[in-house]
Amino acid sequence: MRQALKQYNFDWMLWRTYEAGSRLLAGTKQEYDIALRYIPYFRDPVKEVFKAKAGQLFLQMTATYLDNIVHAHQRGKKTCMTTFCFSPAIVYALDMVPVTLELLTVMMTFLYKRGTGEFLDYCNEAGFTETSCSSQRGSMGALLADIGTPIDMVVTDSPGVCDTNANAFSFFAAYKDLPFFQLNMPPWLVEERVTEYHVQDYKALVAFLEEQSGKKLDIDRLRQILTELQKQDELINELEQFLCYRPLPLPVTTCLFIYAGRFMFAGMPIYTRLLELLVNEGRENVRLHQQGIYTSHEKSRGFFCYIDHYTHSLRLWQMLQELNIGYSGNILSHFWADSNPPVIQNNWEEAAYSIKTGTLEDMLTSIAQINSRMPMIKSIRGPYDSPYMWLQDTLALASMYRADFIVYNGTPGCRNTWGMVKLLAQDTEKAGFPTHIMYADAFDDRVQSWDATRDRFEEFLRVRRLI
Amino acid sequence: MIVAGCDIGSLTTKVVLFDGKKILASSIIKSKPKPEDGAYEALQQACAIATVNQDTITYCVGTGYGRKRVPFANDTISEISCHTKGAFYLYPNVRTIIDIGGQDCKVISLNTQGEVDRFVTNDKCAAGTGRFLEVMAKVLKVELQELSNMAKKGNEAITLASACTVWAQADVIKYLNEGISKENIALGVCKSMAKRVGVLVNQASIKKDVCITGGVAKNTAVVKELENLLGVTIIKITNVDPQLTGALGAALFAYQKAGGK
Repeated sequence: MRQALKQYNFDWMLWRTYEAGSRLLAGTKQEYDIALRYIPYFRDPVKEVFKAKAGQLFLQMTATYLDNIVHAHQRGKKTCMTTFCFSPAIVYALDMVPVTLELLTVMMTFLYKRGTGEFLDYCNEAGFTETSCSSQRGSMGALLADIGTPIDMVVTDSPGVCDTNANAFSFFAAYKDLPFFQLNMPPWLVEERVTEYHVQDYKALVAFLEEQSGKKLDIDRLRQILTELQKQDELINELEQFLCYRPLPLPVTTCLFIYAGRFMFAGMPIYTRLLELLVNEGRENVRLHQQGIYTSHEKSRGFFCYIDHYTHSLRLWQMLQELNIGYSGNILSHFWADSNPPVIQNNWEEAAYSIKTGTLEDMLTSIAQINSRMPMIKSIRGPYDSPYMWLQDTLALASMYRADFIVYNGTPGCRNTWGMVKLLAQDTEKAGFPTHIMYADAFDDRVQSWDATRDRFEEFLRVRRLI
Repeated sequence: MIVAGCDIGSLTTKVVLFDGKKILASSIIKSKPKPEDGAYEALQQACAIATVNQDTITYCVGTGYGRKRVPFANDTISEISCHTKGAFYLYPNVRTIIDIGGQDCKVISLNTQGEVDRFVTNDKCAAGTGRFLEVMAKVLKVELQELSNMAKKGNEAITLASACTVWAQADVIKYLNEGISKENIALGVCKSMAKRVGVLVNQASIKKDVCITGGVAKNTAVVKELENLLGVTIIKITNVDPQLTGALGAALFAYQKAGGK
């Protein structure tokens, strides 16, 4: 790693940058335009985020998340390293600070043209395999090199779901000799034994967190967080109704805001405010018959059956807008509450979670269920074509969002999906959805350049007569 | 009216000149570090063969990985569309095209109108591409063109343990050191190549008639192994160099865009 990169903590640099970005709209239009001239490096990502009315709040929320990490110890809080598919609600309930690696990697890759390459490589220097997942490595490298807020404990829930993900966290815990807890996921979802397993496993997690944080779980605080989550679910349900409309009444970045916000601040009021802003924008656009992509007619609509492509300047979203493609959702933007539209439409309540805030037992059961329905945790745990797994979810969501095509973005590094994706694509094609397997590392342009990725994607859209 | 198609691939640059009825001339040269230079040189060669002035070219379409760097192109179209156009023009009954270029391998399904229905490409890997054969020819110290004839003289193909070009190269060196004949090694290399391409073809669900385009189409040993593997007869493009199919398709598009029918 270059010496220059070791001069400042990476999370501090990110915090300062997002903090400054979130205040860009505080002045006049003229001041904003002048400021852009002085930030050539960050101009494009900032402009892209601000295309949505909720963009400013999204940046504020991101800055707050980073502020929490940077100042955690100063404020007497412990840091808990975790993964995007683990709900941070329990971490907040124990008054700790979640440090979600994939979020930090994306925050960095959005901003810096150099991406997270040096941190990715540092992980390999430390002993990672080169084919391990890049979503954790992009920020873990910095933490392995001690240029970030020190981590107090590590928690993951991906064993059996995504082994490269799980291995990354166990590697870090072993390398840094930190307390480590992993929730395990059976390959089924709907079975009494599985529900019981989830709850018991989760109770052991709570005991671990209590021990490591030195705090007892505050029941009132947990109830408050779960009540906030209920509110957030209701807002997401309304947003999902808007996302089914054609043309799309919300910006193409909406889904990104939904899932990034939930991964950062599930159950926290700041995320509720973001969702409220998005809902208000949707309502207003529906009332005015406006579309959210801010361009001409929506030519076609895609559903991403896995993750998005996050490298510099939100170029995936830029491309979608340039080509007038609507984008309603991906597998990450879905959280499977029992009140969620596809759950109700398909009578899938048994596969969904419900939030009950009566007793502590109710709440622990609810939060364990929420966690077991997190993106990827729910649908990649078993064979792709089993009930409630990847294929069923993909087809249901693509149909609900009225998508014209499906995209998978990944590399062999995404082992647990890469190993099944060709079969999945055959089945989605049979179901009438043209499906594109977009070979690209969502976090590392060195694997395949964005230009090459975009070329192939556009070719797919053209030859399948989607644009 | 004279139009041109220019295909800048990772290994070679091709130009076809077309007058609406026939191919007037064509050229194939090694791609240059500066793709624009290669495009100019290939165009000059083709014009010299056809004895036409470059100024008389009404319209040009660029294709291939370097299509955006063709300085004299009026438009660019992807190589998938151009290979389809070219192959369908030559053989209207073709429904599956196997295109093996220097950098990638594609299988294209087309409909009766000659439009692309679906396509699949290899994962980012040199195995199953022209580069694989080039690397192996280099290790065997033979010209790429000789590899096919050498393979035909082999009678006991070696097995390459890995699909990876780098590891396969190590295997070839090992076999050379063990004293295995170059012919048997060449046969093993062609079989390995065919196997890798066969996997991709099977993914795309093959429809007859099948043809093969791109530089590797000229390696008859690979094509024969592929036929054995897939159990189909593969049309060999004989009236035009198969490596020119993409450039021909680009020229056909150019003709349409220039107002020709």
